[in-house]
Amino acid sequence: MSQQTLAEKVGVTRQTIIAIEKDKYSPSLEVAFKISDVFQKPLENIFKYK
Amino acid sequence: MDMSYKEKSLLASLGATLLLFGWYLYGAFSSLPLNPELPGFIEFIVLIVGFIILEAIIQSFLAIKNKSQLEDERDKLIEKTSSRYSYGFLVVCIWVSMVQILLDARFDNHLMLTTPYGMFHFLLLFFVLAEVIRFGTQLYHYRKGV
Repeated sequence: MSQQTLAEKVGVTRQTIIAIEKDKYSPSLEVAFKISDVFQKPLENIFKYK
Repeated sequence: MDMSYKEKSLLASLGATLLLFGWYLYGAFSSLPLNPELPGFIEFIVLIVGFIILEAIIQSFLAIKNKSQLEDERDKLIEKTSSRYSYGFLVVCIWVSMVQILLDARFDNHLMLTTPYGMFHFLLLFFVLAEVIRFGTQLYHYRKGV
């Protein structure tokens, strides 16, 4: 899935998806749940607390 | 350098602010000791109208060239963080101005800052610097993360 497609499904900009991937932005719980919903995976499989 | 619509828009606003207000303030402060009177009303109106027109042209051009102008939670967080820095700076400047006015009234010591012309332009300078901080920190957070 492209960053643009994910961004559109989650309702954020592509730059925000890039920032999350590069660890430059921690998304809100709402966005985190939406991303996990898009991938149909549990939250802990997508995000890790550092 | 790959820049988002928001970054381009901020950079344009920063450039327009520095260019127009920088030019105006440079002229104003150069003549401050020689001309400690009220600011030229016409010059100031020309500056404000010129700034609005320049910003409208640049922002319209950017909006036409960039289809996606969606604002999300990251944009709002960056804007909020930068506004806090800008507000902090403005508060310090206002306190400095108030102390200066008090000292002037107490000791009858007429400095440039407390003439109407001087005070007007110092307040304008503080406002412009606060805006530069706001734009600058937003650009920094878009690049380095928030």
